[in-house]
Amino acid sequence: MADADASPPQAGEPISEQEALGRLRQTSDPSQQYYGAWWLGRMRSQHPEAVPLLQGALRLRRPRDTGAGVEENAVARNAARALGKLAPAALCAIPDLLDTLEDPDDGLREAAARALGELQAPEAVAALCRRLSSGPEVAGGQRGDSPRLVEPCEALLEALGDIGVATPEVLAVVEPFTTHSRPIIRSAAARTLLQLSGDARWSAVLVELLDHPQLQVRRAALMDLGAAGWRPALEPIGRTLAENSLKLMALRGLVEQGKGDPGIPQLLACMDSLL
Amino acid sequence: MSAAAMPMSCPTTAELIAAVQRADSSQGLLLATQALAACPDPAAASTLVEVLGFNNPGAAVAAVDGLIGLGPGAVDALLQLDPENYGARAWAVRALAGIGDVRGLELLVDALGTDVAASVRRAAAKGLGALRLGDLEPARQAAIQARCLDALLAATADGEWVVRYAVAVGLEGLAKASPLDPAAHGALKAGLQRLQVVSAENPPVVQLRAQLALDHLSPP
Repeated sequence: MADADASPPQAGEPISEQEALGRLRQTSDPSQQYYGAWWLGRMRSQHPEAVPLLQGALRLRRPRDTGAGVEENAVARNAARALGKLAPAALCAIPDLLDTLEDPDDGLREAAARALGELQAPEAVAALCRRLSSGPEVAGGQRGDSPRLVEPCEALLEALGDIGVATPEVLAVVEPFTTHSRPIIRSAAARTLLQLSGDARWSAVLVELLDHPQLQVRRAALMDLGAAGWRPALEPIGRTLAENSLKLMALRGLVEQGKGDPGIPQLLACMDSLL
Repeated sequence: MSAAAMPMSCPTTAELIAAVQRADSSQGLLLATQALAACPDPAAASTLVEVLGFNNPGAAVAAVDGLIGLGPGAVDALLQLDPENYGARAWAVRALAGIGDVRGLELLVDALGTDVAASVRRAAAKGLGALRLGDLEPARQAAIQARCLDALLAATADGEWVVRYAVAVGLEGLAKASPLDPAAHGALKAGLQRLQVVSAENPPVVQLRAQLALDHLSPP
């Protein structure tokens, strides 16, 4: 699943790359830094200053202040997200993102994990596995102070799938999460195992979730089948009760990430019918 | 709802309309709209159009299906929609795109060029390639084709992949529907070739769809 708040706080007027770099560079207005960081990622800036500025922004920490326009560590979170979109220039920021993966703020760990997945950083596999190794009861347990989980499990699991290191040790860490109490986490674990092993039994978990009574879960399963490029799911994706926009994204994944049958002409014909 | 699922005595259109207007819950509106949408009577059109503005996506989907089923008989009601009602307009674009009546041309062109939602632009692009021109005199046919082609070519630069994908589908539909003059055919082909370009911003699925459309393109 995508980040919940990856869009800018206020869209405002279109700005230039220089303007975005300037907003990120200044330090008096965090909401401008937040927007500048978002812009550089969204536009996949290749400016030589973009990655160094984002590395700096990744270290910005703020105390929680509900009066401010930008919440705690939001600039660092957007910097992590932007770095994830800037391969290959951002590969030099992998050590910074690995540090961020140890931050006490789980929202920041989540953004760092997703970025490391997008950068397909094999260096991150050990740290991601360590965060998950206590299993669905501990790492995947609900925190005492909020409905959030102890670890950002969905992001950690999906990063492992995106990185693609399919050793028995990684599979052993991921597999217990297919029985997590939350269907979104089961979906993320099944997606990762499907990506890593290609074993059809994990696709069955995802296809079953396409019938889940909650729309949010059906959406997650659609995105996860798309990310895994599991083409045999074409027919169940087509009849899932969800927005055509999401089905189209999932089918794009089947076209671009998948192989075998059903072939491209059938996939495109289904996409045409959903426009 | 299928006819088999209805009560023994089949309700009249007026009764079905009254049931939609009486609905006092989201689920009630959905069921009443589905029943009305299954009714092939053009008298249902204006009520189905009203449902598009109720901010109930399930009911709106059913209403769009019903309006498409009514075909040209639904177009007047759709074009009378308040242009300020953004949500309803987005659904109306989908219905007009599905109906393919040329009276929807201006609304589809405007939606593809200016709507903020990619889902609306994508429906408009497909619709502009699927207008039914067969019964029109040749000069009028050519004029409408030219409007569709201009709008679709402009949208080959849309920032959203799914809209560009739909533009490839629309251009293919336009070329298949009726013969184009050589200049228009050349411009359409060039548009598809732009969508076929390999670049980081243009995902493979768009390139593949444009390629498929080019393969289907008959010579001028």
